[in-house]
Amino acid sequence: MPRPTSRVPEPAKRDQGPDQGILARATGARVWKDHSLLLWAHFLVPPVLAALVVAATFATPLLAAILAAAVLGIAAFSARGLLTRLSGAEESRLALNSQLIQSQKLAAIGELSAGIAHEINNPIAIIAQEAEWAAHLVAEAEKAPGADFVEVKDSLREIRSQVDRCKNITHKLLDFARKREPVLQEVDVARLIDDMARLVDKEASYKNVTLVRTLPQDLPSLRTDAPLLRQVVLNLMTNALHAVDTGGRIEASARADDQALEININDNGSGILPENMDKIFNPFFTTKAPGQGTGLGLSLCHTLVTGMGGTIQVDSAQGQGTTFTVRLPRRPGSKP
Amino acid sequence: MDIRILLVDDEVDFVETMVKRFGIRKMPLDSAKSGQEALDEMAVREYDVVILDVRMPGMDGLETLKQIRERWPLTEVIMLTGHASLEAGMQGMNLGAYDYVLKPTDFDDLLDKVRKAFERKQLNAKAHKQGA
Repeated sequence: MPRPTSRVPEPAKRDQGPDQGILARATGARVWKDHSLLLWAHFLVPPVLAALVVAATFATPLLAAILAAAVLGIAAFSARGLLTRLSGAEESRLALNSQLIQSQKLAAIGELSAGIAHEINNPIAIIAQEAEWAAHLVAEAEKAPGADFVEVKDSLREIRSQVDRCKNITHKLLDFARKREPVLQEVDVARLIDDMARLVDKEASYKNVTLVRTLPQDLPSLRTDAPLLRQVVLNLMTNALHAVDTGGRIEASARADDQALEININDNGSGILPENMDKIFNPFFTTKAPGQGTGLGLSLCHTLVTGMGGTIQVDSAQGQGTTFTVRLPRRPGSKP
Repeated sequence: MDIRILLVDDEVDFVETMVKRFGIRKMPLDSAKSGQEALDEMAVREYDVVILDVRMPGMDGLETLKQIRERWPLTEVIMLTGHASLEAGMQGMNLGAYDYVLKPTDFDDLLDKVRKAFERKQLNAKAHKQGA
């Protein structure tokens, strides 16, 4: 039988946490050493008890009844346990699968869009050059008496501004697809978050939005790529600022456990529509009006965080707000 | 090892104060008054860290940053901004700036960031050498 766990992404395989154990056991993929005793008990205890019931029937019916009740109880208990584990395993398998599909999808879209951006850059450059040349010709022709090229000049200006817009998008895309090798430094994350928050403060005050920092004094430092993390934090905060209404509230917090340092950016905006939750990290996905955003901010965050060996997740409740959670491993290379 | 720092700002008073303050710490600091002057300066001398004002007449800080990152990818750039503009901040970080410092500048804070930027540059240079 093919192992059903073969689609589990690589980092998860190394992890032998409770989920993985349950997953392996319930799907019959592999029985870990520490679970084998339990499995034996599952199979051996019921028949032993049943044998006792049969034996007791010959001695005294009362003992037989008590034993039979005990057997039934144990059977029901273990059946329930098995069911819980099975459904738990199925759930975590589905979650792992969808995570994997999500990251593969993002990688594919990223590659595709970088390819297109690269191809489109050349014609855009030619259009820009031709527009420059046409502007030069118009300027020459304008020297003739009675010449009026106001509209032509307007239209040329528009061509140039739209070309700039295209260039902006293609550059962002190419930048997005660029492989960044993180440079690891000791980073004071609390300070980093506060620094980026100060950049957002003023803009937030225009909107009458409060940006709260909840940063524990004893937050440990982290070996990570400082400018990449700044980019992620700043992008998430900006995103939150766009999501809240006037008078809203954003909270940036951080905490650490043994494995990971976790950064949360929470806002009390209108939340993300359930049908948009799957697309939120897709490049070009945006709910803003055309021209207001390229829809690359969150997908960039996803790429950067994954590149740093971490995970990024979103939780959102309609009308209550959204929380983005970034988890970065405290030991590089380990699981966050 | 000395950190070779270039400060790019059109505010003469600010630059003079900074040259003095870095001088006291035995950290020589070169300065340029515009983006173009900075690029010219960088073409002759090598710098580890550039402290770059966002708002300058002529070539602005972001355009200068773009060119610095293209031509000297190992040099780290710290952006300096008086008006905390979020849009410029985002663009700066996305263009590969190392960090931001808001004006009025806390000197120790700036110094610390310069040291961190220099550390990164050295790590990066080492990785490049190994990769080559």
